Amino acid sequence: MKTFIIMYAAAISFAACNNDNNSAKGSNAKTTDSTAIQTPAAPINEAKANPLKETLSAYLQIKNGLANENGKDAASGGKALVDAIGKVDKTKFTADQNKTYSDVADDAKEMAEHIGENADKLEHQREHFDMLSNDVYDMVKTFGAGQPLYKDFCPMYNNKKGAFWLSETKEIKNPYLGKKMPACGSVKEELK
Amino acid sequence: MSVLKKTLLAVLIVFIIIQFIQPTRNKIGQMSPTDITKIFTVPQNVQGVLKTSCYDCHSNDTHYPWYSFIQPGAWWMARHIDVGKKNLNFSEFGSYSKRKKQNKLRSIAKSIEDETMPIGAYTIMHGDAKLSKDKNALIVDWINRTRDSLSKTN
Repeated sequence: MKTFIIMYAAAISFAACNNDNNSAKGSNAKTTDSTAIQTPAAPINEAKANPLKETLSAYLQIKNGLANENGKDAASGGKALVDAIGKVDKTKFTADQNKTYSDVADDAKEMAEHIGENADKLEHQREHFDMLSNDVYDMVKTFGAGQPLYKDFCPMYNNKKGAFWLSETKEIKNPYLGKKMPACGSVKEELK
Repeated sequence: MSVLKKTLLAVLIVFIIIQFIQPTRNKIGQMSPTDITKIFTVPQNVQGVLKTSCYDCHSNDTHYPWYSFIQPGAWWMARHIDVGKKNLNFSEFGSYSKRKKQNKLRSIAKSIEDETMPIGAYTIMHGDAKLSKDKNALIVDWINRTRDSLSKTN
């Protein structure tokens, strides 16, 4: 009988190892959900005015997190962005807009997921932020920003291949080089 | 029987039981029409490297070694393949949007240059999957050419 009990316990602990991971994932997803629901609860009307409002505010949170070298802030912005993309009201999009949007949004969502999952890897977050900026820029070009934005370019990032980002301030705060060279870059375009 | 013996016996029995619980195999057994080699020009030597070093986790066709049937390792491996395929699946590359193709190619080059891929847990068992400097350069060069030609298409 004892043998059986030990065996049973061992079997359960094996199963538990397996389940632990899954339930951890599940509960993670839940916490991000609930925080995301709490934060942008207020401006529902404004969100209607511009479909990208929440997406942009999450994007800017990532940008500021990276500029301040705060991977955790960037990661929570990433999670908020994933959530914001899921909530965009596509019913008023034209067929063309819908096609553009779904390609861009799919990609942006994936980038945001990586940023959200790598709070301790600033450089990895930055790589995805570079690609994410491209997506968000294309979204803004299609749907408008609903707020003044600046397209800034840093020529030094990524082995001098350069990268751009969008900012809500005219002042340069470089998210790619962070505190090393906070003022590197220049405004290339003003968006509204 | 001492407690130690009983415990060992229990572990052994559990070990035997879990051998019968096998995860689904990632093996489609045929070349998918959306495979990266069907949509881009992929030279034979590049294909060879991709298949040896990447396809086990990043395609719908894993080449399973004999020990991959031993549990609980098979579960661990299955999870790796799941995550690998979610992030990059060469068998479904053709179904990605142009934007996603570009970004994936960029990320592949980056992770090879950084030597974050293929991961150590994989190359420790698959010595032939390790990328030499030459193979690194071969893949990165091919990616750069492919990205250039992709950016010229609509």
